[in-house]
Amino acid sequence: MKFISDKNLRKWLESLMGIGSLIAPMDLGPGLTLFSQIRDPGDVNLEYETTPIPPKDLFFPSSEALFRFSPSRGYEIPEIDGEAFLLGIRPCDALGIRLMDFPFLSEPADPRYERRRRRTTLIGLGCIKARPECFCTSFGIGPFDASNADAFLIPVKGGFLAEARTEKGAKALAAAELEEASIPIPKPPEVPSIDVGAVREVALSLFNSPYWERLADRCLSCKLCAYVCPSCYCFDIRDYPIRDGAERIRSWDSCQSPLFSRQASGYDPRQTKASRLRNRFYHKFSYFPGEFGAFGCTGCGRCVRYCPVNIDVREVLLAILRGEAKVA
Amino acid sequence: MPKGSDPFLPLLAEVAEVRDLTPDIKLLRLSLREGRIDYRPGQFAILSAFGVGEAPFTFASLPEEGLEFAIRRMGTVTNALHNLGPGDLVGIRGPYGNTFPLEDYEGKDIIIIGGGIGIAPLRPLIHWFIKHRGDYGSLLIIYGARTPRDFAFSDEFDAWAGAGGARLELAIDPPGSPDWRGRVALVPAVVKELKPSPKNSIAITCGPPIMIHYVIEELRALGFSPGQIVTTLEAKMKCGMGKCMRCNVGDKYVCKDGPVFTADQISRLLEAF
Repeated sequence: MKFISDKNLRKWLESLMGIGSLIAPMDLGPGLTLFSQIRDPGDVNLEYETTPIPPKDLFFPSSEALFRFSPSRGYEIPEIDGEAFLLGIRPCDALGIRLMDFPFLSEPADPRYERRRRRTTLIGLGCIKARPECFCTSFGIGPFDASNADAFLIPVKGGFLAEARTEKGAKALAAAELEEASIPIPKPPEVPSIDVGAVREVALSLFNSPYWERLADRCLSCKLCAYVCPSCYCFDIRDYPIRDGAERIRSWDSCQSPLFSRQASGYDPRQTKASRLRNRFYHKFSYFPGEFGAFGCTGCGRCVRYCPVNIDVREVLLAILRGEAKVA
Repeated sequence: MPKGSDPFLPLLAEVAEVRDLTPDIKLLRLSLREGRIDYRPGQFAILSAFGVGEAPFTFASLPEEGLEFAIRRMGTVTNALHNLGPGDLVGIRGPYGNTFPLEDYEGKDIIIIGGGIGIAPLRPLIHWFIKHRGDYGSLLIIYGARTPRDFAFSDEFDAWAGAGGARLELAIDPPGSPDWRGRVALVPAVVKELKPSPKNSIAITCGPPIMIHYVIEELRALGFSPGQIVTTLEAKMKCGMGKCMRCNVGDKYVCKDGPVFTADQISRLLEAF
């Protein structure tokens, strides 16, 4: 591994900004750090804990115009060009992007997502502290897992250990003044793990359990869990009239909305809150693995942290695994 | 959709003809400005009323008959489509979904059971079976609507009933149409009364979910195996390609795995339909 000193970090970020846009965690207010477009390298905060919103919106924006259309001008499609560096992404969020690749890059690939993915270099950042909600190790990653990043940084005294994982990552690191590292890799923090191996199989036998009703009793259908989730990707598409035509907007949505699956006839296969909440967990732990071979969860713990009624995915997983979901 | 092209950009089509089928169902005949859409019966397209939105509609015609859609006025998009006239612009993308395996039905007796706007995906099948009469056994069509005025494609009924060996049974529900000489019954009751034989038969049904549910029950009671019963499911969907997650029913997508399912497949779906 190479070493980037704190002193050289600023210069590196400046040169990255000369190549493309730099997106990195930035403090926007007391206790609020979000991935943002960086104008001044001094704004980058690489000591942040998890951001409230994962950086999935860099690839799948919370709201974007698919196109504008007018009979006289035809289609106008927003351009997506240039290079981008997503710096300081935690292993859980890098896994989140890997998970979103499955639906968005499978045929027919989503062209907007694909272009943004192709133009972006992911520069990961090891976690030197775990939050109480962290359980990423349940999903085959860990605080220093670099596997879903193009390059990876581990914070050490006086700077960062740096490793390129892909050609893109090597190119990004080539812009830095690297030193030979004689610093040993520090010990990663302990992150608790849930053995989720059997969850898919067990869940299928608990589909009709009253557990889901009981859990849903306190759910507010606020959809916060979906918006803060690095791997949730339900979306809506709507038209808005503009002068001489239409703008078609795609935006984040959630299967927790009471209107989400209601059909034109008024019939709804998921009429109850319990059936919608169950769908969320079943999609992540049964349907998604069935389709793509990976769980639809990264163990980032955001849904645990932000749920206003303390619905805890870890407790749900344990209840399923212990078969407690059978008990009314 | 050619690989690499933007699957969210609809092809442009002009409305060639609008026909009132019932007080709330119109037939839209579209003419593509460019490009082509090759589809098979059972598949669907997503139509755009630009500025209002998109909604999925099943192809109501065979490909060689042109692009026809039977659209019931239900909400904002269907309302906008109803307000279009010849020459107006519509967006169309697709085809999406799976198809009826028509070759597998060869040599079998065919029972088609439709209710309301559910006749739309069945119409190309009826046309197909009539056109290829020799390849299939008997053809029984059961079609129910609320009132006599609510039958779509009534101008084709003579052709449907007149095709060699075909039989058309119509029913309305509820009663209260003095001029109606035919059946007054719900569609599942008609199935129960007519007792089609399950022997070497395929039953294909489409209509409101509650009708499909009871039609399947009646067919099962008559001895039809779940593999002999075929239906198409409706779902709200936005993308049509298994990404937006609106149309999953358990681990199946109506847009990709359907909309054509056998009762056998439906019985294994984790959620009711």
